[in-house]
Amino acid sequence: MLAVFQDTGSEKVALFLHILGAVVLFGGTVAVATLAWAGVRLPDRPLLPRASFRTLLALVIPAWIVMRIGAGWIESAEDIEGDPTWIGIGFIVAEPGLLILLLATGFAFWWSRRPTGWQGRVVAGLATLYVAALAVAWWAMSTKP
Amino acid sequence: MSLYEWLLGVHITGAFLLVGGIVVTAVFNVFAGRTERPSDVALFLRLQMIGVVGIGVGALTTLVIGLWLVHEVGYGYGEFWVWGAVLLWVVAMAAGNIGGRSQAAAAQLASRLAAEGDAPSAELRAAVRDRRANLLFVLSGSATLLVLVLMIWKPGA
Repeated sequence: MLAVFQDTGSEKVALFLHILGAVVLFGGTVAVATLAWAGVRLPDRPLLPRASFRTLLALVIPAWIVMRIGAGWIESAEDIEGDPTWIGIGFIVAEPGLLILLLATGFAFWWSRRPTGWQGRVVAGLATLYVAALAVAWWAMSTKP
Repeated sequence: MSLYEWLLGVHITGAFLLVGGIVVTAVFNVFAGRTERPSDVALFLRLQMIGVVGIGVGALTTLVIGLWLVHEVGYGYGEFWVWGAVLLWVVAMAAGNIGGRSQAAAAQLASRLAAEGDAPSAELRAAVRDRRANLLFVLSGSATLLVLVLMIWKPGA
């Protein structure tokens, strides 16, 4: 069984890490957006802000790190000529994405302290924005325009 | 864009919906298992439906477009990575579906208890933390992860 994987290059391990990180990042961010929008609609449920904050901290940010390590590893393992648009789109979504996620985490923490506050709308908006950005990135990276 | 590029884009979109949906359901499952009030358990299990829809759409898209891609690129349906992935896909869907029935029963129980006073219940706790259902979810997630491994390494291609 293992013999069939014998031609494994490090770039395939890197690609696996990159994709795994990206899909978990997507799922985690969708979960945060869902929790945040639900929390905005149901301000009497303080567990929703706490769940948003914990999901960002324990799942979404670690997934971003795995995705980014995989991307950097692929870039160094593969000799990609020039500066293709699809890589540019990937970096545009990845790098400012961390800032968006850190901002969302900060606002989620604040929201968990004041469950009836406006911070929930900010968390919901940032998470929804990042879900859309991830969709653009995976489309660009898979179709390579 | 060529037909191949369209198919690949849609196939990968399906994969994101499928695995992303599994992550969403897992997150809400964990929170439901750590909550005592029936109304909170019911809320988390209701929110879980967003992930279930993603899994359904993603699973169908990855299978149909994936098989189309095999034909389009010229791979053989008898190659290990192709039939292995289809087999694992079936295992993942079957395990997730059987585990999901237990979760649906737990969601009904949570809604009923929420309407009857919303007091914590040992029966609900046991239903949400059902060991068999959780093992089936782990099996489903692991099989899906192995499909990803086969898609990247393509052993036997």
